[in-house]
Amino acid sequence: MQLSGYNVVLRDISQSDLEQLRDWRNDPDIARQMISQDEITAEQQQAWFMKIQRDPSQQHWMIEYKGEPIGSANIKALYARDLADASSIEPGLYIGEARFRGNLIAFAPTLLLNDYCFEVLGAKQLRAVVKRSNQAALKYNEKLGYKLQKDAELCELTLTASDYQQATGMLKNLLSR
Amino acid sequence: MSNQQTLVEAFSQGLGIDASTVNDDLAYNTIPQWDSTAHMILISELESRFDVMLDTDDIIDMSSVAKAKEILAKHGVPF
Repeated sequence: MQLSGYNVVLRDISQSDLEQLRDWRNDPDIARQMISQDEITAEQQQAWFMKIQRDPSQQHWMIEYKGEPIGSANIKALYARDLADASSIEPGLYIGEARFRGNLIAFAPTLLLNDYCFEVLGAKQLRAVVKRSNQAALKYNEKLGYKLQKDAELCELTLTASDYQQATGMLKNLLSR
Repeated sequence: MSNQQTLVEAFSQGLGIDASTVNDDLAYNTIPQWDSTAHMILISELESRFDVMLDTDDIIDMSSVAKAKEILAKHGVPF
């Protein structure tokens, strides 16, 4: 399924994207922020691709800006086997292209994902798990309206639809022109 | 007031920094004050002071004071 808005497109991942994804995911700057830093092999990447295609509890996309892949985004159901039944969803993303990290455009795929989770899937709450050392991601989530629930090595944050709407009005407006 | 002075005021007000620290090399995310929220306030300051409407590409590309001048020039504001 393709989502588009805020000047970006989220499109389904295809077989031909796997090496690009693996390159990004193994980039030390990205791997450092992940829970596992193990180098991902081509075989593991292929196995992951096969798994996500038949798993209704998660959905993954390539992020495109001006027709160019710049990163990857995903959502995962919490406490449910199917995204359609999940009241809590955990979105995730990384920007693979270094020149777009820290740029305002990095908010665009998240706005699309969050709108989709709240408005189409009917989620009541979104959850983010972020390493405490990843201050940029904690700040990023704060700007989206997330509230810190657990302050630990792995911080947990949650977002309700109303906090999200309140926090992102101006951002949505600027990225929707 | 010259366009340069107006620009410096807009940055100073939008980012909450001293006008003396506004120079062409000042860039987005290189000082704590110029984060994504401040960037949005800065855009609104620039739009109201120069009476322009920036498009999303301009907003995303506005990565430094020098780049802001370039973008504003494209909208008919000379420096």
